[in-house]
Formats: sequence, structure tokens, C-alpha cells
Amino acid sequence: MAVAESEFPLVSRRRRRLTGRRVGSALAPYALLAPAAIVIGAILAYPLYLLVRLSFQKYGLFELVRHKGTWIGVDNYRTIFHDSQFWHVVLRTVVFTAVNVTLTMVLGTAIALLIAQLGRSMRLLLTTGLVLVWATPVVVAVNIWRWMVDYEFGVANWTLTKLHFGNFIHHDWFANTWSGFGVITAVIVWGAIPFVTITLYAGLSQVPQELIEAAQIDGARAWNVFREVTLPLLKPIFIILTSLSIIWDFQVFNQVWIMLGERPSPDYYVMGIYAYVTSFRSNEYGLGSAIAVVMVAIMMVATVVYVRQMIKTGEVR
Amino acid sequence: MKARFMVAAILAVMLSAAASTASARVQTAKADSITVWLMGDAQSGWPNVVAEANAAFKAKHPGVDVKVQYQTWGDHLTKFDATIAGGDTPDVLEFGNTETTKYMANGALKQLKAANFPNSKTWLAGLKGSCTFNSKLFCVPYYAGARAVIYRKDQYKSAGIKGTPKSQAAFLTAGKKLMKKFGKSDPNYSAFYFAGKNWYASLAYVYDYGGKIAVRKNGKWVGTLEKPAAIKGLTVAKSTVGALSRASRTTDEAHPQQALVFAKGHVASFIGNGWEWPYALNKDSGNPALADKVGAYPMPSHVKGKLMPEFLGGSDLAIPAQSKNPTLAADWIKAFTSTSAETGLAKVGNIPNTTKLAGVNKDNPQLAPFAVAASSSWFVPTAPNWVNVENADVLQNMLVQIYTGSKSVTAAAKSADKQIEKILNG
Repeated sequence: MAVAESEFPLVSRRRRRLTGRRVGSALAPYALLAPAAIVIGAILAYPLYLLVRLSFQKYGLFELVRHKGTWIGVDNYRTIFHDSQFWHVVLRTVVFTAVNVTLTMVLGTAIALLIAQLGRSMRLLLTTGLVLVWATPVVVAVNIWRWMVDYEFGVANWTLTKLHFGNFIHHDWFANTWSGFGVITAVIVWGAIPFVTITLYAGLSQVPQELIEAAQIDGARAWNVFREVTLPLLKPIFIILTSLSIIWDFQVFNQVWIMLGERPSPDYYVMGIYAYVTSFRSNEYGLGSAIAVVMVAIMMVATVVYVRQMIKTGEVR
Repeated sequence: MKARFMVAAILAVMLSAAASTASARVQTAKADSITVWLMGDAQSGWPNVVAEANAAFKAKHPGVDVKVQYQTWGDHLTKFDATIAGGDTPDVLEFGNTETTKYMANGALKQLKAANFPNSKTWLAGLKGSCTFNSKLFCVPYYAGARAVIYRKDQYKSAGIKGTPKSQAAFLTAGKKLMKKFGKSDPNYSAFYFAGKNWYASLAYVYDYGGKIAVRKNGKWVGTLEKPAAIKGLTVAKSTVGALSRASRTTDEAHPQQALVFAKGHVASFIGNGWEWPYALNKDSGNPALADKVGAYPMPSHVKGKLMPEFLGGSDLAIPAQSKNPTLAADWIKAFTSTSAETGLAKVGNIPNTTKLAGVNKDNPQLAPFAVAASSSWFVPTAPNWVNVENADVLQNMLVQIYTGSKSVTAAAKSADKQIEKILNG
């Protein structure tokens, strides 16, 4: 929020100055932007173009060996839209994303509020813990979790049994899709909380103390203070964090892939996995690309909604 | 994440354009190394055979280095496909004998001349078949493996089991005795350790009752897992696994390695390859103390006195069509499939690629049971797209549904049949 406010005067000042300069220097900003634009074009736009092109081709092992696909128009899209498994996967991915984003945001906010209330040493301890979680590479983290919930030798089953939660010896967390996705959700939320918490905590420290005190004098309880004061002030941060979380959780891959030994059963397919399996396990690169394009499109819709929301909020202020 | 496969897909296409121009140039340069992709089995089971082949190759080609890169069964084909796209394929590649057809049919492998390779007149017919497409040869048989029951003689004895079971009924009775004797006090104990995704051992029950995975009818593949014989086999497998195994229903026999679970002592028996026996006794990963307590016998059929057909596994060595050093690659394969190399392979429990060496393990009590087991075997449908059924884990997913009870045997088999037909006829 602080950023948004200070940027406005800066932009208008710059504009004013620009009108007083020579026309040639008007090109300078574009020249400065050019390298970044070229890099983005090369590593993002061009591959995306190739992906879209591939999605209109029949491209299997035969074509791969010859490095040449066959143009088949929208056949790949027709195939996936008529495939009931595809729609199951889309629905599963949407629900999965909703659950993960909600849990991440709620728990992340709760911990951020907790940190704000803590004394110095505990705050340091908690923040260090969060940063360490954030710093752990995903592949390493998922493998550690995988060992913990291992069927044969896992420490989770051992601990739960020792604590008399029941007989967890040889408990298979992935035999049941619900508990399997439960474990995966735990790993994802665990890994996502630090970023949300630390960002929100930074935002919280910017909330003017006077506003909170004024509200408290008016008789507001903690929940009211949060709802009426903190939440509106931090709305832009919440929107950015939520939209980022949606993007991250919608395209989840590693957590599912590694957790299930790189051979997830179809019950565990989310869109990223489905596109990968179709492309690289069944050698249907064209079909896989079509799934990926649909996935990008769905994500773009979600993102556009939130970016619009973001800009709107900015304008209102 | 999403970026990973997208970038991979795109990179593959991009690289392919660059590669077609680059490869012409590299070909003329003198190679100073060749790249060989072998499966990890060679690394854990017979590293000395690899070392000897490398030494023999280097003696012939001084200055040419052999880079052996060990792969895992789960993703070696995905990696190979990526190298095809990138124009950077290995020079020699190990294939499972069920994986070759698709690559031969799509022109991904170099055609070879049998006469150039050692013992080609006496190659195992089954393996040679997996290397032949439209009566042309595209790979060289490497070794075969049959599975047998590897068991704890001491536990069998103290549970009062005399001799080894000669029928499935006797096998089940013996297993129940073991569970009673050891399984009550030890919650980790399995009389017959059987991972849920072990499709090689599971489908053996189907073939034992005369079932099949799929058959070709009027030019089309038809899934036959829902036929009564196959259903019977799967049902028996389910009840056997349910009664005797406490292994995970959702992992396969290599995660964790079943031989190493066996080595920990809570397992009386499992279906394993010949090389898994010495692997269980390996001093670094296994338990050498079990050396004189382990035995093996061929899995009996439900028909008394007969053997259950076990999957005839095996591996072949091929040269990718895009290899830049096909001549050197062929020379390395020659060294690695020489009579002495194959003798080395036989001694660690494999079935060598030539019938000439069939008698090598005749008097070895540790390995003879596997040779006997090989006399009764089954193999996957020989459809060009078969490997896609494996890649999509159709059978493994069906087995998980059956063993965890998330679907009935019939429902799981029907849905697998549908997927198999879609893939094989696609």
C-alpha cells in the first residue's frame, strides 16, 4: 500500500519533466526496455508460440524421430474436450487449488498476526524457521516428507503408533485418495506459508498504530480490528498473495510427482501431471501441448480477474 | 512445475531444429568417447562385467572413453525421447524386452546385422524376437531373467513346512503357517512380500489360469482381462496377497527394493529375479548373515506338479538412429555380449543371451531354480504400442485398485481393458 501511494506523485513528476525535453530522448525509455523485452520474447513468447503450434499438430514418436509434425487443426482440442478424464482432472485441479490457497492464506495470516504479537526472541525464532522452510529446495523438501510418510520405514507411522493414535504400522497414506491428497496439501501449504506470512507481517508493521488504538478505544475487539482496520488496509497485499498462490497451486507438479514415486495413478492427476504424462509417457506431444494451452488459458482468466481487481483498487485510492 | 514440462517440450522442438544442422558436422570429427545407457541393475548386480567389457573395448580402441550412465526403469525412455528431440542420443541404449517394438516401428533405432555379433546363431529366441521388426534386426539380446520364489529356509523349517510347495494350495497353506508362527508377534512380517504394483508377478496368476492381457482379433486388439480366466487369476492373486503380504499396495517391487526389505528379516519369501538373491546378501546394502538361510524354488501352478508361468523379462542393447558413433557403439556391444561377458552375467543369476551357455548354472543350487522357472513363462502382447500401456501404468493402476479394494476385480479389469484397447489400437 505504501508503495502504491508513493508511486503516484513520482510518475506525474516524471511526466512533467519529459515534456520539456528533446523528442529524441523520448525514445530512450524504449531503448532501455528493449533488452528486457527481447529476453522475455525469446524465453517466453517464442516458446509459447511453439507450444501453441505443437498443439495443432500430430506429434508422436514417429514425428519426433523425423523432427517434423503433421498439421491436424483442432483435432487435439476436440479429443481432450470429449475426454471425460480431462474434465475430471480440470475439476480436481480447481478444487485442489481452492483448498490449498484457502488453507495457505488463512494459516499464513494467522501466523503473521501471531508474529506481530510476539516478543523479540520468539519472533526471531519463528521468522528464522519460516525462512529455512522457504529456503529448502522443493525436491529436497518433498523427498523428506515422502520418507516421513513412507509405508515401510516412515517416521510418521511409527510416531502415531507410539503416541497411541491407533495402529499405524504399515498405514498406506496413498491408498486412499483423500488422505493422499491430504499429505500433498500439507506439503504444499507448509512450503507456501513462509512467503505469505513474511509478506503479510511486513504489511502489518505498516498499519498505523493510531488507527488500531482508535478502534480499540471505540470498543472494537481483536476480530473487529482485524476486519475493519487491518484487512481493508492490507487488501492489495492479500489480492497479490492470493493471485500468486492460485497461479502456483494450479500448476503444481513436483509435490505430486515426487511424492508418488514419479508414477502417480490417474486418481492423482492434476493438470500439470496430466499434460506431462500425455506428452512424455505416452509420446503424444501434440495432445499434451493442447492440455498445457488450455491450462495456460484457465490460469490467464484467473490472473486477469485479479490484475483487474488490483488496478481497480489502485484507482480507487 | 508447469514450466518444467512446457520448457522441456519447447526446448525439445527448438533443439531439434538446431540439431539437424549440427549433427552433420560432428559426424566427421573423430570421437573420443561413446555414451552408454545401462539400467541400474548392472550397477548393483554385475559392475565387474561392465568394467571388463569397457577394458576389452578400450584395448581395441585406445583413446576412446566409455561413459556408462546408469538409468532407472521409471524414466529412461522419457529421457531417451528428450535426447532424440535434442539430437544428443546415447550411442548404446539398454531396452527392456517389452519396450523395443514402438521404437523399432518408428525408426528410432539403427538396423543391425546379426552376423556381426557374438553367438548370434544361438541367441535366445524370445529375446531375438523382441529385437526383430518386419524381419529386420534392431537390437542385440543382452540377458533374460525369470523369476522364482526366493525364501528363508530356516523360517520354513521352524514353521513346520516340509520341502517346497508343489501347488498353489500348498503354497497358500505354507504361507498361512508362516503368518501364524511369525506374523502374529511381528506386525511387519510378510510370509510372501508382494508390492501392489508388482505387475510381473500379479499377471502370472492370470496366465496360470489360462488368461491373457489382450489378443488380436480381426485386425484389432481386444483386452481380455475381464474374461473369466483372467478374473479368476486376479481374484486368486488378491486373496493370496491379502492373506500373506503386508507390503504396500500402492508401491512397486523396486520402491523399496524388495530384496533389501527381505534382507531386514521380516519377510519369508518374495518373487524375485536371480540377481536379487546375491543383492539381498550384499554386505553394503543387504545382510550377508542370511547367506546359508536363503533358497529358491520355481513358483508352483494351481495345477499340482506344474509351474506358474513367470514373466520372461530381459534386456536388449540398441544403437539409436541418431548415434554419431554407430561403429564404435557396435564394437562396445560386441565386447559386452561376448561369451565371457555373458558367462559373467549368468554367474550372477541371469539367463545368458545364448543357449550355448544354458548349462552354466546347472549345478549351482542358488541359480538352477531360476533356469527351471524360465521353462514356463509368459510375455506381453507384441503390439507396437505395448510400451505405452506400461508407460501409462494401466496394469499397475488396475492392481492398486484390486489390492486396495477401491474397485472390484471385475470393474478394475474392465476399465483396464478399455484403456488397453484404446492404446493398442490408437
